[in-house]
Amino acid sequence: MKTVKKRKLEPFTIVSIIGVGFFMVLCVIPFWMIISGSFTSESKLATTGYSLIPQPFSTTAYEMIFTGPTVAEAYFASIFITVVGTALSLAATSGIAWVIARRLPGISRPIAIFAYLPMLFSGGLVPLYLLVTQYLHLQNSYFAVILPLLVAPFLVFIQVSAFRQLPEAILESARIDGAGEWRIFFRIVLPLSKPILAVVGLFYAVHYWNEWFTALLFITDVHKYPLPLLLQNLIQNVSFSQMLPTSAGQSPPVYQLRLALTAVTIGPILLAYPFAQRYFVKGITLGATKG
Amino acid sequence: MSALQTREVRRAASKPKPAAPARRPRPLRGNLWVGLLALPAIAFFVVFAYLPMVGLIVAFKEFNVADGVFGSPWNGLDNFRYFFSSGEAGRILLNTLLLNTLFLAATLAAGITLALMLNEIRGRFFKRVAQSTIFFPYFVSPIVISIILQVLLAGVGGSGGAVNDALAGFGLPTVDWYTQPGPWPWILTVVKVWQMGGYLSVIFLAAITSIPEEVYEAGAIDGASRAQMAWRITIPLLRPTAAVLLVLGVGRIFYGDFGTIYAIVGDNGTLFPTTDVIDTYVFRSLRQLGDFGTTAAVGLFQSVVGFILVTAAVLIQRKYAKESSVL
Repeated sequence: MKTVKKRKLEPFTIVSIIGVGFFMVLCVIPFWMIISGSFTSESKLATTGYSLIPQPFSTTAYEMIFTGPTVAEAYFASIFITVVGTALSLAATSGIAWVIARRLPGISRPIAIFAYLPMLFSGGLVPLYLLVTQYLHLQNSYFAVILPLLVAPFLVFIQVSAFRQLPEAILESARIDGAGEWRIFFRIVLPLSKPILAVVGLFYAVHYWNEWFTALLFITDVHKYPLPLLLQNLIQNVSFSQMLPTSAGQSPPVYQLRLALTAVTIGPILLAYPFAQRYFVKGITLGATKG
Repeated sequence: MSALQTREVRRAASKPKPAAPARRPRPLRGNLWVGLLALPAIAFFVVFAYLPMVGLIVAFKEFNVADGVFGSPWNGLDNFRYFFSSGEAGRILLNTLLLNTLFLAATLAAGITLALMLNEIRGRFFKRVAQSTIFFPYFVSPIVISIILQVLLAGVGGSGGAVNDALAGFGLPTVDWYTQPGPWPWILTVVKVWQMGGYLSVIFLAAITSIPEEVYEAGAIDGASRAQMAWRITIPLLRPTAAVLLVLGVGRIFYGDFGTIYAIVGDNGTLFPTTDVIDTYVFRSLRQLGDFGTTAAVGLFQSVVGFILVTAAVLIQRKYAKESSVL
């Protein structure tokens, strides 16, 4: 606790440090194994299975990944889905959240119920599948992955509580100065809400980046696979590795490839995480305590 | 513009009336204009949340693609009968309840424990690094988790894996994990704890931070140790937060964690006896059998029971913790 300045190290504190340290190790080791394994040569992997130090060091898998078109296409798909999806999601979410947050008589409440009800009851998989494939004809379109996830009621909820914390005085003075509702939203509300937009945007971005279930349902064209789906395919059937370029007669390093592709998939999250982490903590805290 | 201005002035002038200061009367037309901002999201909910609810009528039909959702012939409750007499229904429902109960209990316990422990750590830098580290698995795709599990349990080249190497190191017999359904509920529970422990600890740590300092000072004066404070002060004060999460979890107990379980188990039939849940069953019968009617019936059953559970959970939670109501 902050105010207690000097106190002797109690048993519980020691247990806590050990416990947290142990859990930290559990969270780090698997990723280290993946990355280390991805630099280990296939022959070594086939005999020992994994290693904590890449010995002998090999970049074969990465060379294959970055020379062939398959992974580049998957990267493009994932980036497209993440960037376009996040932008659309943020626009839709902040729009509806502001209308709910304004507490407009006769409008806000019905819209809130309308937005939160799907959390309680959903149509399920089959109707969604029929809708996307039979009626919207979105198979093999990136939008088949984006649109079903466009607005997450939980994030609307977070955004509403953040909007409600904006100082009323600023909005009121803008109104007195003659600003219209849309101008207030775009020129005052959104700029003031940058931190919460970052939080909500990051949640959407991670979601889109990791999404494979809708991709599995609706994307059958290998050239349009996003990264997680490509990876899933690599686990399910080894034959996929034939699509990657190999020197004649040599069998492709399947296991090393798997690990390298895994590393490539978590890479961007791993790189962005140190900067984005505090926003996530903030978002969850806001959602948990509710403004 | 000036009209709006005078309207504002008039409203400001009439403010002394104490009745509902937050709800100032506004002309409906202006409100509709603001309401337009909600239009994209409303369109989304109509198409992707409410239309599929209508589509659930497929559950009462003998669906064929040519006739579509509305043209296919009705067949009453045949789809439901088919599922419940298939002999698989009992196992799947039981698995769903059992696995979700395990997940819920284990992740909540882990979240609280981690939060209590993090709270003990005073070094600011270490605390921040620790929190970031244990939070990270939450952001990893289930597919990646599946690969990690393979490395640990089967080895990359099918050579045994890290866990078996450790078992052999202690002179214990090794296990062929991917052919043994028995341990999988526990393996999946460990995966869930690993995945969600950090996330939940953030929530609980936020709740701990909001506990007033004086309570602990009083405890310190009475000579309580840190462990006693955690057990007698922090945990009881975390109860409302835990209750909210528990109630929400119970409400969702009928929905399997599709992504993680399917990513890990996939179509490995030997593990189905202990790992097949409603969602994975629905997904498989849709993709492999193309049986839309039965699959929709299972989905409808799940949604209805789920809805009853969520509603009951929210009502109970409202009754017992009015100040921290969800929804």
